[in-house]
Amino acid sequence: MTTTTTTTTPSTQDRNSVLLVSNDNHTFILRKSCVMISPAIKGMLDKKSNFEEAQFNRVVFKNMNGVVLEKVCEYFCYHEKYKDAVDVPDMDIPPELALELLMVADFLCA
Amino acid sequence: MNRSRGKIRPPRRGLATDHVDFDEYWEVLAQSLREIYAKNASHLSFEEVYRNAYKLVLKKHGDRLYGNVKKLVGEHLQMVAVRDVKPLLPSSIVTGDVSFGTATTERRTVGTKFLERLKFVWEDHQLCMGMMKEVLMYMDRVFCADRKIPSIYVACMGLFRDHVLRHPEYNIGNALNSVILDQIKMERDGDIINRATIRACVYMLEGLYETEEELEDQKVYLTSFEKNFLLASEVFYQREGERLLRDCDATTYLRKVDKRLKEEYSRCHDTLSMLTEAKIMKVVDQQLIDANINDVMEMEGSGLQFMLDNDRYEDLKLVYELISRVDSEKRSLKKKMCARLVAMGKEVNRTVSTPQIIAVSGADGAGESSKASATVVSEEKVANNITLVAIRWVDEVLALKDKYENIWEQSFDKDKGIQAAMTRAFTDFINDFDRSPEFISLFIDENLRKGLKGKTETEVDVVLDKALTLFRYISDKDVFERYYKKHLSRRLLMNRSVSHDAEKQMIGKFKMEVGFAFTGKFEGMFKDMNISEEMTSEFKRLLQESDNNYKKGVDLSVQILTSTFWPVGGGGSSDHPCIYPPEIRAIRDSFTKYYLDRHSGRKLDWRPDMGTADVRATFKGKKHELNVTTYGMVILMAFSDLAPGRILSFEEIQTITSIPEQDLVRNLQALAVAPKTRVLIKKPMSRDVRLTDVFAVNEEFSSKFMRIRIGVVATNRAETEQERRDTDEKTERYRGATIEAALVRIMKQRKLISHTELVNEVLAQMGSRFNPDITMVKKRIESLMEREYMERAEGERQVYRYIVSSLMALPFHLSIILVPKHNTETTATIIRPSSVPPTHKFRYWLPRPSPFPSPNTMVSFHTLHVQTYIPSFSSFLIQFISGIYMAFITKMG
Repeated sequence: MTTTTTTTTPSTQDRNSVLLVSNDNHTFILRKSCVMISPAIKGMLDKKSNFEEAQFNRVVFKNMNGVVLEKVCEYFCYHEKYKDAVDVPDMDIPPELALELLMVADFLCA
Repeated sequence: MNRSRGKIRPPRRGLATDHVDFDEYWEVLAQSLREIYAKNASHLSFEEVYRNAYKLVLKKHGDRLYGNVKKLVGEHLQMVAVRDVKPLLPSSIVTGDVSFGTATTERRTVGTKFLERLKFVWEDHQLCMGMMKEVLMYMDRVFCADRKIPSIYVACMGLFRDHVLRHPEYNIGNALNSVILDQIKMERDGDIINRATIRACVYMLEGLYETEEELEDQKVYLTSFEKNFLLASEVFYQREGERLLRDCDATTYLRKVDKRLKEEYSRCHDTLSMLTEAKIMKVVDQQLIDANINDVMEMEGSGLQFMLDNDRYEDLKLVYELISRVDSEKRSLKKKMCARLVAMGKEVNRTVSTPQIIAVSGADGAGESSKASATVVSEEKVANNITLVAIRWVDEVLALKDKYENIWEQSFDKDKGIQAAMTRAFTDFINDFDRSPEFISLFIDENLRKGLKGKTETEVDVVLDKALTLFRYISDKDVFERYYKKHLSRRLLMNRSVSHDAEKQMIGKFKMEVGFAFTGKFEGMFKDMNISEEMTSEFKRLLQESDNNYKKGVDLSVQILTSTFWPVGGGGSSDHPCIYPPEIRAIRDSFTKYYLDRHSGRKLDWRPDMGTADVRATFKGKKHELNVTTYGMVILMAFSDLAPGRILSFEEIQTITSIPEQDLVRNLQALAVAPKTRVLIKKPMSRDVRLTDVFAVNEEFSSKFMRIRIGVVATNRAETEQERRDTDEKTERYRGATIEAALVRIMKQRKLISHTELVNEVLAQMGSRFNPDITMVKKRIESLMEREYMERAEGERQVYRYIVSSLMALPFHLSIILVPKHNTETTATIIRPSSVPPTHKFRYWLPRPSPFPSPNTMVSFHTLHVQTYIPSFSSFLIQFISGIYMAFITKMG
């Protein structure tokens, strides 16, 4: 997992990664394959429709702060890591974030 | 972090509390959607649009959002229909003029442009809707799923159908149908069209449904286009069928149909939808094949008849394939082909019967006894001719068979049904010709006598198999058996057979085909020949031992024929009178004694009409050996003791020899008329032998050969008209007896049987031998009822009951009827066992004439058939009874 908490906007041209940005400007760089489990993000990155996000491989989530988005990214990686495994350990979810994450998950259709 | 101690907190920025103004949000959203339509999505943030829709749905504005989106899309589509599609509508279609009124090329261009525009509009709609679907995903997922309403994508597809295809003012859908149909018609007429464009439009129709449930059978393609397409095709192909029928010959027609079928297939594949394939094929099948194939097959000079006659394998294959499409039974093809086959067969029958009919009628027209010889000669000639005719007939029928077999193999895919039909056709015309059994037998005869000489085993096999093929078709196998027996006997007695192996092979084949019952007599004939040979040599040995004076002069070889195996005419020496010269008589009597000593109770009947003799004669000091018939020998012997130059008249010869007139004429003809074998001279010299002629030894006779064969004019291989009538009569009699035997057999087994069942059983049992005439079966039933073998069951008219004789029912209470020599004065003695109480009712078993011809049996038990067919307890009983009877007879003297 490659998470950084820089405020800068790295202009990554790597076709296989995507930048997820929170409303407080935390940027997370993930492999595209990880994030595609969310149909909403998949739609955003669809080259055919070619929205802004798809052009720059960069998605800004106006309704998530860094803490929440970090947890979301953690989930993406968690899913990627264990998707074909058995005996999957529980993911650690802080209770105070639970409701917020639930809403975000609903938003992302994930 | 310890989860158990953590608290669940509400989201930090509680969205739930935010107030959302629908109009404000919608305005932004609508603007974004318009941007999508304008292809400006690259300036939009998916996330933003998505989030807006999300918020509206979250705040329970889902239905308004859904409605507004539909309204927006609907308005856009209406605008598109007017702005983009309408200008390209082929004008004449709008006004409903189907023929367009313009030249094909122009129509094509206009149509293609229209289709292309429609394709473009559709694809644009699909693209934009795809994007909108994505950004409105949250609505679909939450709102639509909740309310169970169609997703926005499906709803908007429906909008396209309603606002574009079914535009209330411009009927774009109809125009689309007409344009596609028009283009297809152009292609059918040979033009080239843009298939891909049509394909795209068909895709569109296939992607649209009548309702939002999107049921598979509710595709707009099926509901609005396909129906019209099939209708138009039907009209087109109906006309095409009529036109082709009028203008083309059968071959062209078939080729065109085949081409059309392929075209339609590729059309469905490339231009339209595979959904239509089966349906359009059916239209073509019906309009081009089903409706017209009969007419096509009947086309003069090119139809089925022409194809069959000229071995057009390709065309016939096509006929077969096309007919298979509409009728798995191929009834019309079978019917027509068989009709032709039967016609050809009958033609063969006719050509062989014509010349011979003329010849026979000529012979019949000849005078009576004075012209007897003429009649004999022409009849003999006819008989000889018939052999040739028979061979020609067999050859032609075989050729016909080969021809049709080839067609069947090459063109009809070895279809079982057609093979059966062909077999039926052959059976029909072969059995239609009443001389076919005789001809087939003659064919075998000819081959076994001459044709097979010097051939290898395989070649022999081929010829015999051919004969067998025809044999299979004969339904009157008993008639064939009769002829074959006759011809076989002639081959055996005259030692004409090329090889006994071939004969045995042939009989083996018959046996394989129809069983032992059929060939039993043939085999019996061979056995007789072997036994005769042994017996002759045995007799000679004994003769030499017992009689030292045994003269070398007469060398006898005897053939003893069991009368039931051989086709020899009725018994009794009276039928074949002949006064033998004393030398011959002596040896004959001595053989008779020898034979009867060994086989008591048998009767020998000498047949001078069937034997041959070698006679030594000296002409002009030169010794010759003459091979003549027995009659010929007797005639020559009549001359042998006479002074040279002495003449004998016809009548004198007849008195000396007592040879029947016809045989005498025939033999004298051989001896005195045939130029190379004229050992007698006749006065007056003429070709015919008359009753007034006189004969003398031809002292001037000379020949290069030591051994001379003097055959009777014809070996008479084929039958003459008279003989044929006799044969037919014999056959009838024999069949009657066979049917009766079968009837009794069945009745005995079943006791109670309905009329139809009984008749069917008889037909089934007789089937392998001959096809019995139903009226004959009925007559036999009547006759059996008269003779009380069976009766009608009380109450039921169509049911028969077998009358069980008391002999059968009470096997231990013997009741015997003794039938003395003459049935007319029947005296019956009943032996009643003492155990039977006096009150016991006897059913007297009345004597009935046996249904089996058994002239030599004095006692005719009607139950004799039991012994013949089912050896059972009853058969032992009968033997037992016979024993008592014989004892009784002996006692009585």
